[in-house]
Amino acid sequence: MVLIILLVFIYPLIAVIRNSFYSGSISNLSFIGTANYVNLLRDEVFVHAILNNIKLLLTVPITTAISLSAALILYENIRGWKLYRVILFLPYIIPAAVVGLSFSYLLQGNGILNTALRNLHLNFAALDWIGSTTLSIYSIGAVIIWSQFGFGVVVLTASLLSLPTEVSEAALVDGATRWQRQRFVIIPQIKETVQFLMVLQAITALAWVFPYIYTITKGGPANSSMVMDLYIWQYGFSLGAVGMASAAAVYLLLLSGVLIFIYSRMRKRQSDI
Amino acid sequence: MINGFKGKSKARVVTTAAITAAALVATIGLGTSTSSAAFKSADVNTGKLVYWFWGESDIPGSTAWMQAAIKKYQALHKGLTIELVPQNSDTLQGAFETTAQSKSGPDIAMQWATLPVLTPVWRGQVSSLKGLVAPSEMANWLNTSENVSGGESWAMPLYLLGQPFVWNKALFKKAGLNPDKGPTTWKEFLADCAALKKAGITPVVMGDKDGFFGSWFQGTIGTQNLNSVKELQEVYAGKAKFTDSKYSDYLTKLAELKAKGYINNDVTSIDLTQGWQAFAQKKGAMTWTTDGNVATWIKAGMGADLGVQSVPKVGTGKLASFYTATQSISAYITSWSKNKQAAANFLVWLHQPENVKSWYTATGSFPADKRFSATLIKDPVMKALYKLNTLPNQLWAQNYAPPQVDSQGLQPAAQGVLAGTSTAKQAAAAIQKAIDAWRTQQPKDLAAYKKWAGV
Repeated sequence: MVLIILLVFIYPLIAVIRNSFYSGSISNLSFIGTANYVNLLRDEVFVHAILNNIKLLLTVPITTAISLSAALILYENIRGWKLYRVILFLPYIIPAAVVGLSFSYLLQGNGILNTALRNLHLNFAALDWIGSTTLSIYSIGAVIIWSQFGFGVVVLTASLLSLPTEVSEAALVDGATRWQRQRFVIIPQIKETVQFLMVLQAITALAWVFPYIYTITKGGPANSSMVMDLYIWQYGFSLGAVGMASAAAVYLLLLSGVLIFIYSRMRKRQSDI
Repeated sequence: MINGFKGKSKARVVTTAAITAAALVATIGLGTSTSSAAFKSADVNTGKLVYWFWGESDIPGSTAWMQAAIKKYQALHKGLTIELVPQNSDTLQGAFETTAQSKSGPDIAMQWATLPVLTPVWRGQVSSLKGLVAPSEMANWLNTSENVSGGESWAMPLYLLGQPFVWNKALFKKAGLNPDKGPTTWKEFLADCAALKKAGITPVVMGDKDGFFGSWFQGTIGTQNLNSVKELQEVYAGKAKFTDSKYSDYLTKLAELKAKGYINNDVTSIDLTQGWQAFAQKKGAMTWTTDGNVATWIKAGMGADLGVQSVPKVGTGKLASFYTATQSISAYITSWSKNKQAAANFLVWLHQPENVKSWYTATGSFPADKRFSATLIKDPVMKALYKLNTLPNQLWAQNYAPPQVDSQGLQPAAQGVLAGTSTAKQAAAAIQKAIDAWRTQQPKDLAAYKKWAGV
């Protein structure tokens, strides 16, 4: 088991850290110390990529809020709730590349969405969703929310269904309104699931957005939707600059590590209480 | 003498004749094998070859042709299997770099000529064609100079690719312009754009989501103030600054197109191919394209509406009179291939006259081989393109930019201008930064580049 862990996790990690101190292609490396780390921080595109990843973290509270709202509605046993849950889950099971390609056509300057808006005489709303340097990253964020929130609904619904009904029923007997029951009785009971879901979504926003970005904007226009994992791919695989890609991967790892650390601290504080 | 001959024994004469005949046969056999390494011995052409092929984006129908050619070649060499793996434009360089890291993958791969080919050459990922293909055979191939480094040729050209400036005659007529005369200067170009816009027609239609148009615009417009290829190489080698107006003036022209609304408003949200589809759908009057697309449009019945020429003259340098053409994609044999001679033999076979002819018949694209007979070209538009492609002065400037500078500098900088968020000056500075970054991050590639360019 230890050998497998060493082989699968530790060795690649060490290799990435080692390569981050070299320049050149993998077959022709030269040691350059910490130059890659310094160069990355001086590279506006990389800094912009980090900022974009942070912007995409905004999708986490939004996705969670939408997922939670939908899960609570379904929890109220509305008619056909199982069917609705399946429908809401569908976007999550569609491969990200397919989602990306579909939305790339939908969101083009003269794509389906804008054509529909213009036909409705809403020309002011027909923006260049993926061709504008200011909008592209937010458009991708919206696609990620659309694609991911079904997963949140399923996870939270499962958590809600596992709750004992007595507490909620007692609140009902005490005259609590639906909002009060949800806010003060139900949500606190699934707090840990919500937190776990948020950490998963945050990691997705940091390190798993490549297929969306690649298929919708390719990181453009003018690197405006560049994110860290696309940056790593470009340098590591497209350009063969393994050192730069490895150093960027180490930064990404550190950023993910910070998130996991925060989550662990939160868990610890809760268990202490 | 006669008597003397008579005096020799009959047996001796027979022996001498037999030895002479044997020597002749041996000489002929040896001559055959050295004059064409392609057909050195039958047993070489066995085993399996993996061929990473790219061509469809340039030349629609090329993949189908190659599949048929492989089938034919396999029938000639029963012991040989060739697996064709079509590649995408987006991942062409990345996929090869990835596979090269593990020194496994294709026996034959393809990259665009010059820097995209020479970069893996300098990284030791490609086999020289020296010793694999006879010089007499290579002498028939066109534009091989694009892939020469260290005095050796490293890749095989398949077809010629020109980048014509194309206009739609019907839309020109609709705008009150002379349909048979394309703009030859920037002033004329802008005047045509103004007339087209006034008539409610989008003057230029392109797609730049994938960034290629930025490189193309630099290659066709941005080199016109330069006097030599060396001047172009100097800027990448660090001997000149891209922010110098002789290099970056084209970005001002691009910004002008954007500011005046002479280019389609969705240029940054559609890719190159979608831009050409829009041209074919008459959503714009002018475009930059390739021979292959023109051939496809002719097949689709658009021939009478197409005008083709070189791009309008903008600069005053010697390169302003160069036409943008290249051998485009080039096939090379990987350094790790276990079957190099079989791979070389297949590449040589692709250039045999019957295949050269069949390529043109099937795709309408011009083979990069002297043995191709131009009399086969019947269409007047294609004749005009062939004339352009075979002009003595040709340059595909994008091929001289290190791939990292192209993808991290030339392409995003132009996107910024087309999206309206960067000025020409900011874009030029961004390209200079990309050049500086490449020079810092890839010192070995830089050294190889300088050596190759002689700067």
